[in-house]
Amino acid sequence: NIDPESLLPKLPDPAELKPFPTTCTTICRGHEGRVRTLSFDPTGRWVASGGDDGNVRVWDPSTGRQVWQIRLSREEAVNAVAWRPSEDTCIIAACCGETVHFLIPKNELCAPDTEARSQEVLSAGFGYATSATTSKTASGQDKPAASTWSRPSAQMQDRGCLLTLSLHTTPKILTWHRRADYFTTISPSTNATSTAIAIHTLSKHLTQHPFKRLKGLAQTACFHPTKPQFIVATRQRIRIYDLQQQKLEKELLPGARWISDISLHPSGTHLLISTYDKRLLWHDLELGNTPYKTLRYHSRAIRSVAFHERLPLFADASDDGTLQVFHGKVVRDSLENATVVPLKVLRGHRVTGVLGVLGVVWHPREAWCVSAGADGGVRVWT
Amino acid sequence: MTDVSAMQKQSQVRIHLHTRSGDIELPQDTGPILVSTELKRYQLSTLVNRLLETEQPVPLEFLINGQFLRTSLDEFLTRNGISAETTLSVEYVKALIPPLYVASYEHDDWVSSVDVLSASSQAAAWAGNRYDGSTQRVLSGSYDGVLRIWNTSSEVVATGSGHTSSIKAARYVSPTQIASSGMDRTLRLWKCDETTLTPTLELYGHKASIDGLAAHAPSSRILSASADHTVGVWSTKKAEAPEASEELVPNAKRRKLSNTKPVTQRGPLSILPGHQSQVTDVCFDEKDATVGYSASMDHSVKTWDLTTATCVDTRTTAQSLLSICHLPKSSLIATGTSARHITLIDPRASATNVSAMTLRGHANFVSSLARDPMSSHQLASGSHDGTCRVWDIRSVRSEAMDRVGEAVYVIERESAKGRRPIAGEGVKVFDVCWNREIGIVSAGEDKQLQINKASS
Ligand SMILES: [Mg+2]
Repeated sequence: NIDPESLLPKLPDPAELKPFPTTCTTICRGHEGRVRTLSFDPTGRWVASGGDDGNVRVWDPSTGRQVWQIRLSREEAVNAVAWRPSEDTCIIAACCGETVHFLIPKNELCAPDTEARSQEVLSAGFGYATSATTSKTASGQDKPAASTWSRPSAQMQDRGCLLTLSLHTTPKILTWHRRADYFTTISPSTNATSTAIAIHTLSKHLTQHPFKRLKGLAQTACFHPTKPQFIVATRQRIRIYDLQQQKLEKELLPGARWISDISLHPSGTHLLISTYDKRLLWHDLELGNTPYKTLRYHSRAIRSVAFHERLPLFADASDDGTLQVFHGKVVRDSLENATVVPLKVLRGHRVTGVLGVLGVVWHPREAWCVSAGADGGVRVWT
Repeated sequence: MTDVSAMQKQSQVRIHLHTRSGDIELPQDTGPILVSTELKRYQLSTLVNRLLETEQPVPLEFLINGQFLRTSLDEFLTRNGISAETTLSVEYVKALIPPLYVASYEHDDWVSSVDVLSASSQAAAWAGNRYDGSTQRVLSGSYDGVLRIWNTSSEVVATGSGHTSSIKAARYVSPTQIASSGMDRTLRLWKCDETTLTPTLELYGHKASIDGLAAHAPSSRILSASADHTVGVWSTKKAEAPEASEELVPNAKRRKLSNTKPVTQRGPLSILPGHQSQVTDVCFDEKDATVGYSASMDHSVKTWDLTTATCVDTRTTAQSLLSICHLPKSSLIATGTSARHITLIDPRASATNVSAMTLRGHANFVSSLARDPMSSHQLASGSHDGTCRVWDIRSVRSEAMDRVGEAVYVIERESAKGRRPIAGEGVKVFDVCWNREIGIVSAGEDKQLQINKASS
């Protein structure tokens, strides 16, 4: 007789998969209302957060000290913050209302030379005539510009906001390309599906809408780390486009009712999809278009998912108030499947209304993650 | 019946007493002596004091296999599965007296750094007879950018303003000179007397926050640890310091606005690259000040030959390192980690293992370390868990791959009122200083300097 248990593949013991975050070591308090978005600076020294109070705040994740802050709006929430992924500048892009703000946290966060370079990068595009993209409609009238790049008021510039990009939609997601010149904004709740997804070129102050007709409602998108590919998530589908040839490369069928977030493995070969229907889906992009693994660990919607840039780790954040940390090892050899081991449930955020943890990001090097809570707290887990 | 008599026979055990402290050595080796297993610490202490023929009994503690004896010998043997037939090697050490709460000095903002000036402090020793030791002072650096000098009656006697952002480190160089540094990327030197703190030199050279400092007055050298991934070497003498690089000095416009008398600006003797991430702390080798050590978030401790400005050794651990302290007697480097423990590193070329031992117990980042001025075996640590802990590196036991030690005393934050907040919220300890006269002084997120002292 064969014990059926013995046929199951043996999962490694979590203790052997250290390091991974196990405890909350810092709580950053200051936001009034929900914290919606987080981003680590490329060196891992600072965490930026944005929330319902219309503020962008920058924290020292080891002490919880707020080191910089700017109010972008009195009425509208900051929906996305994303640090420009380049170590020789210090620039945060922040979406609030219909505007993308480009911030240089002054004072002590960046050295004079870094500040000068950051300012150069933000003003370079003013030299291009394309800054007001007008086009003719069929009847020959001027269409309103899809986007406007401009210098904010002197007062805002003094406080650290050096450039704004106004869209006619409300971007909820902003993702940079690795080269730090392109970024994409996604405005999920717009009626005009053709402008829901935009790709911008910072150095030219240029905005493009690559999809004339998008099937489904746009949810989020990201760039491939090495190939000229662009991954778009609508509510139920994932489509991978080749940006150079302008064609659809692949379509995934995750079987999700409503996708909340995606995270592409740094190798570009595996994709994690989190859903409001409580499931986390792992797709091996070389193994066909259905999920390789479905993970159900949460009792409420999953809002965010993130692969670690360097370590075999990923984490998700849920409205049940917890984060789940997994070991996820991607093997180069495609004959061998990826190993996924649940490691730790991180508890601490208070569920507020029906909302729990709204976002999770990883430190660029350490096995540390940071979470954004509907309870107003930013928590650092190490 | 025979069983009982056997047990009674075994109620004695052979012990072999020894110590590493010269002043309490036995006149001659007693060899193994037979004692009752009923004995506890106090009776053993009395026994050794009798052998020593001390006039004033010295309270002693007993280490067996790296553990302090906290029970009777009998219980100790049972718990550790040791047969009473063996001869126990028993090391005796002077008992560490619990450091009791003395006072708190209240600040307006988080306190990042602390140092003490007293007769036995390093700065006083360097000053020789230029300082009579009668004035005891506590120096604090705060997140509000203000440097404060306190007397021992909790009063501020002098303040120093000039840092344009949070101070992260402050140290006495001599009884009349202070060095401070912080998030404004400057290192500043100050002249101090009974009531004033006057800026004398502004040092530019780092491109990010300077989070750690070490001073060595006899060679007029200061070492700095910066978040720009480098270690800075500076002179405390104006004449010796090179010009500051212009691009690192904030523009003149801002200076005019501040409307203060300009302070002389200078640059570093050298900036040492090599670390891959933020440098968090630095110290001098206590026996040879031409050698420095640095701890970094890149997981490594580097040894620097300061004469040639070169890195001569790198020891890489598994976690980010936040604090460093040299233990000269044992030639070990203690380093506080983000993984909640303290690693002891042997930086000598002959050492084969990176970690010589690990001190465990903290529940959060170990942000600071200070050596016991009275003993080369003891050190204090400050942690973001809101406690300071006192350790004795003789008290270690062997585990699978490592030698592990536990704290002898835990100093709670007075402001925490017995609670241990999650994530050390509100009570994180950022710096600790151990002084013979004043005691263990710690600086924290609770805006307090807290003093604890063993009452002897
Ligand atoms: Mg994500």
